Amino acid sequence: MDHKENKRPRISTSDEEQKQGYIPRYPLYLNLLSALVLLLVLWAIPHVWKQVEPFHPGMDYRIPYVLSEDYWIYDRYCQMAANQFEILILGDSVVWGHYVDPDQVLSSQLNHMAGKPLFANMGIDGIHPVAMAGLVRYYGQAISYKKVLLCFNPLWITSEKHDLQSRKEFRFNHPRLVPQFFPEIPCYTESASVKIGNLMERHSQFLSWTRHVKTVYFEGLDLSSWVQQKSYQNPCRAVTFQLPQPRITEQSTPPWNIRSATLQAFPWVKLETSFQWQFFRQTIRILEKRDNTVFVLIGSFNEHMMDQTSLETYRIIQAQIASWLQTNQIPFLLPSSLPSEFYADASHPLTAGYALLANHLWNDESFQIFLCKPNNESK
Amino acid sequence: MQFHTWIFLPFFFITYVIYWIVKNTKFRIAWIVITSYLFYGWWNPLYPILIAYSTLVDYISLTLMEKSSRKRLWLVVSISNNLFLLGFFKYGVFITDNLNALLTKIGSQYLIPSPGFLLPVGLSFYVLKSIGYVLDCYHEQVPRERNLIRHAAFVSFFPLLLAGPIERAAHFFPQLQGNPRISIQQITDGFYLFMIGLVKKVALADALALYVNTVYDAPQAYQSPALILATIAFAWQIYFDFSGYTDMARGIAQAMGFEIMQNFNCPYLATGLSDFWRRWHISLSTWFRDYVYIPLGGNRKGKWKTYRNILLTMILSGLWHGAAWTFIVWGALHGTGVILTRNLERNQFYKENIPLPIKQIWVFMLVSFTWIFFRAETWDKAILILTRIFTSGLSNPSFPLLFAVVIFVAWIYQLVRHSLVKRLSVPSPVRIGILLFLLLYLAFFGVSSGRPFIYSQF
Repeated sequence: MDHKENKRPRISTSDEEQKQGYIPRYPLYLNLLSALVLLLVLWAIPHVWKQVEPFHPGMDYRIPYVLSEDYWIYDRYCQMAANQFEILILGDSVVWGHYVDPDQVLSSQLNHMAGKPLFANMGIDGIHPVAMAGLVRYYGQAISYKKVLLCFNPLWITSEKHDLQSRKEFRFNHPRLVPQFFPEIPCYTESASVKIGNLMERHSQFLSWTRHVKTVYFEGLDLSSWVQQKSYQNPCRAVTFQLPQPRITEQSTPPWNIRSATLQAFPWVKLETSFQWQFFRQTIRILEKRDNTVFVLIGSFNEHMMDQTSLETYRIIQAQIASWLQTNQIPFLLPSSLPSEFYADASHPLTAGYALLANHLWNDESFQIFLCKPNNESK
Repeated sequence: MQFHTWIFLPFFFITYVIYWIVKNTKFRIAWIVITSYLFYGWWNPLYPILIAYSTLVDYISLTLMEKSSRKRLWLVVSISNNLFLLGFFKYGVFITDNLNALLTKIGSQYLIPSPGFLLPVGLSFYVLKSIGYVLDCYHEQVPRERNLIRHAAFVSFFPLLLAGPIERAAHFFPQLQGNPRISIQQITDGFYLFMIGLVKKVALADALALYVNTVYDAPQAYQSPALILATIAFAWQIYFDFSGYTDMARGIAQAMGFEIMQNFNCPYLATGLSDFWRRWHISLSTWFRDYVYIPLGGNRKGKWKTYRNILLTMILSGLWHGAAWTFIVWGALHGTGVILTRNLERNQFYKENIPLPIKQIWVFMLVSFTWIFFRAETWDKAILILTRIFTSGLSNPSFPLLFAVVIFVAWIYQLVRHSLVKRLSVPSPVRIGILLFLLLYLAFFGVSSGRPFIYSQF
């Protein structure tokens, strides 16, 4: 405020950089070349990372729960599984094996029956069909031409909320994979900014990779928040290049009817208006466009916990699903319900349930035909 | 819509592509106005009405001022209107709250209903810009802009709408005339500046905010070291936040062919409080100097009136920042500080014999002390923080080591930025290396909270 100049306003536009005037100008080609180098480096970093971060999924591998939303590692797993296995099983926590150990899930049971590692567990905990369509479209390019066993869990159409048709906002699984703007999901009320960020991440390896690093080594936090929590720790030392391993279930889960035997009245949504079913069909179309050979497994859903009205509606839905699959010449299995004590809840089998389900599949004629079909890779 | 949110990306992309197409046509200015109003309306569709109203009143007042012999009348109309907007939206709640407190104290049963609206973002900035322009026209420092659209573009230009810099008519209007020549170098420079600003905001300011907010939200739970470190961290947070915003604004404007005035010049290297105000929020401090301090008499009317003018200007500047007593105290502290250190800064011994780092640290300490009042939500909280700084224990502050490194590096960078580093960072390949580092740093350290710019709330 100490100014000797007491005249009328003087325009202050002091720009030291310009006053000093030593900023040289560089030719256009050098600017463009530099930009190209930058893009190249950004593209290369995730690829180089793959070389330094060991990832060796074995026969009974499943994406660890903590990495459920690390789609970059899923993409990487797709690339490796496509080379290692003949048939990839896609689905939600029923495929993933929510209540059982990794070596007791459907893929493991089928491998046991086949006597060799044919099947890969590509399930992700909590992934619903709308998100699955996004996962396959944006992160499943590597499984093109492969044989795919795609599982549909009827749980996702048991209510408007499960079907994402609820008008009331709620947090659902895997929001980054669902359509961000069109078609509109009424319960998905994130800001336009977050949605655009999600769209960017889908199309940028670099952004997906940074999320991977944060998920694996920094508890899913940005590093600023991480150092705030661990004031004196060196973030560089947290990067151990060791990916989390799938956990073994600590204690066995009892069957559903031991915890609660109450029968449920599911407010099923109509199949023709179901959002989840629409996207399940979209997933099939994406896979078919990519020359995948698809086999669909429906359920098996726990019919023992439904009341009579729910069961009758479920039968109608089952028939509609079967009809659509038949019309579109997609081989499928609609297995009969497993014994009540083989279920942990409405849709998740226990170990014996997986064994029985695998048995149903293995003995199904259309599944045997599917097994015998060659992969389209040779085309 | 803030610059550091994803939504700004498609907005700017579309804006820029069309701007590039129309930049050499008469639609250029109209496009600037349309996009600026869209940008402003993103917060609230009613905001463009407010800025349009303000623009229109000023435009009419200036037109009538030019034609009328009673120029002063139209000057008063325009300034009153602008001050009314500011007073109504910014100080309405503050005034009613204080009046109600007074009424309660004298035992009145009647309380004035509090106006239930929020301050429209950017209002404080475009109101000052408009007042400055009207005063310049009144004093015939600049010619009146006859084109309403061009006038509207000056007031609403979207890169500067949120939080300045408070551009001057004489500097900005010539840039709205004719066709801009935008070189590739300008675009890359603009992009580079934008990236630097983005990192400052998202990866530095918002990161420091994590610690500052934790401590300042519950100062009673922290002891002296944590409170001191949080205050120092806030000093840097607000610098990174505001200068980051300014860099982004200048970068966007540069890519559109505009040269915007500098708003910061290493303020924490200041060697006195007056020097600090020549380096911090330059566009605001020069505005207050030119339109408040000098008209009050500046330093022309003797020592005591100079002190009065300094104090009054600083208090007004504090009040401009926010409608709360803490801001008024903050302004008063700066005013008092400037008065007390004024002679010291002119002293030959101080100038020549006190080592530069000591002067800089001393000024930084003074400024940081005043930030306590700026940051604390209430007067009571500010006093509590101050008391605890001097009376509480010395428990472990759990201040992230990395944040300390960031602050240290920022300090060092400021010291050397005019020397070798500046020259080294200019060639494209070096810039690409820096950009790569910035992108990586942003990707990992960027806080995804979408926290708004501090100054956009004023």
